[in-house]
Amino acid sequence: MKDLIDDNTTDMAMEETLISPRFYTTNYKELDKIDVSRVRSEWDPLVEEMRSDPNKTHFKKTSDWDDFDFENLEPGLRKEFIDFLVSSLTSEFSGCVLYKEMKRQGTNEDVCELFSLMARDEARHAGFINDALREANIAVNLGFLTRKKKYTYFSPKFIYYATYLSEKIGYARYITIYRHLEKNPDSRFHPIFKWFEKWCNDEFRHGEAFALLMRTDPKLTSGINVYWIKFFLVAVYATMYVRDHARPEFHKAIGVDIDWYDDKVLRMTTEISRQVFPIEIDHDNPKWLIGLKRVKRDMLFYAKAKQTKGFIAFLKRIYGASRLGISFVRLYLIPAKKNKVPTTSRLQPSY
Amino acid sequence: MRILIKKKEIAPCTVEISNTFESLHAHVRFNNGAIIYPGDEVLVHGRPIKAPYGKIVKEDREATILRATALERVWTKIIGKLEFMEICEFSFTEEVSL
Repeated sequence: MKDLIDDNTTDMAMEETLISPRFYTTNYKELDKIDVSRVRSEWDPLVEEMRSDPNKTHFKKTSDWDDFDFENLEPGLRKEFIDFLVSSLTSEFSGCVLYKEMKRQGTNEDVCELFSLMARDEARHAGFINDALREANIAVNLGFLTRKKKYTYFSPKFIYYATYLSEKIGYARYITIYRHLEKNPDSRFHPIFKWFEKWCNDEFRHGEAFALLMRTDPKLTSGINVYWIKFFLVAVYATMYVRDHARPEFHKAIGVDIDWYDDKVLRMTTEISRQVFPIEIDHDNPKWLIGLKRVKRDMLFYAKAKQTKGFIAFLKRIYGASRLGISFVRLYLIPAKKNKVPTTSRLQPSY
Repeated sequence: MRILIKKKEIAPCTVEISNTFESLHAHVRFNNGAIIYPGDEVLVHGRPIKAPYGKIVKEDREATILRATALERVWTKIIGKLEFMEICEFSFTEEVSL
């Protein structure tokens, strides 16, 4: 939803974009029972590093932040780039709300401190992106707070799997773009990319923390949970593949081939995830890419069907949803590779 | 917890919105220790709270908590498994085309 508002700090009419973060609850009692003593020797240094706040001074606009005019962007690229900024901001924001809530409801000191440190980072990232949006004359509307909102439930283990992958993929995406633009500075069309290198170290550390949380209880990465892990891997990887391929202008502008980029990001994530997951996606199996393409095709078909109304469209939707479901199951059934998890998991961002 | 009829509660709360360069965040805290369970709905009373850029706004308000029924609670727990993709973020919104 967009409309024009008068932002009283600048006296300039700004386009307003409404962000809709999600609200979650989880089993806080289960979080309280987490015992980090199994991983204490890795936990303490990580929390200490986060406490020392290595990125405290990073998110400042320095002279590196060159002038930038959003109006000069091609309309297609402008749309995709703003989608990128708004979506990144919403995700940082939702992460902040979730982590803060976990901190507030819990009583376990180790866990509360961790979530409070992560909430700090996410709010800081959101503030930085917000500023970039303001340069484009876009103000973020936080009016959702006074609207009725429903709380969705996730069990702690699903939060671990999903946010672990989300943080590590976030790292892999940012560092891949950063390294690419280091070699091709002419394609760096916006200054925000210069901040990605240190920024993504925060994502990396958050991922490390979730890896340790998963390792506090061996049950989380064995037995039936291995099937859940595979489910999350397949769903998260496939979603990223589909969304990236739907943003051609953005990738063209930074000069990356989407197929190359996604392959690199997903392989990097897989390599990192060996620290904790007992299985990994077999990227070299030719069926994997064929399966991803099939999911992409069906997702587009389904999305199109959803946009139209009427009986025929209804049938198309059902057909599309079933086809998408089958394609997803086929992707899921491609055998995963087994992985022997190391006894300690701590990694340093070295890509 | 009721099986079919929702229960309404009024709870005092503090809303904090920070719209600054250093931090963009918004939180609602219930001052009577009320806990939100799966499927509950929350409505903060009053006009929308706006924080102009560069400001942190804190306001005490009241909120209605509409408690989910036992059935809804179970349902939310099941459905939650399917909605997990929302917490995964890959730099773009879920729209498959813009």
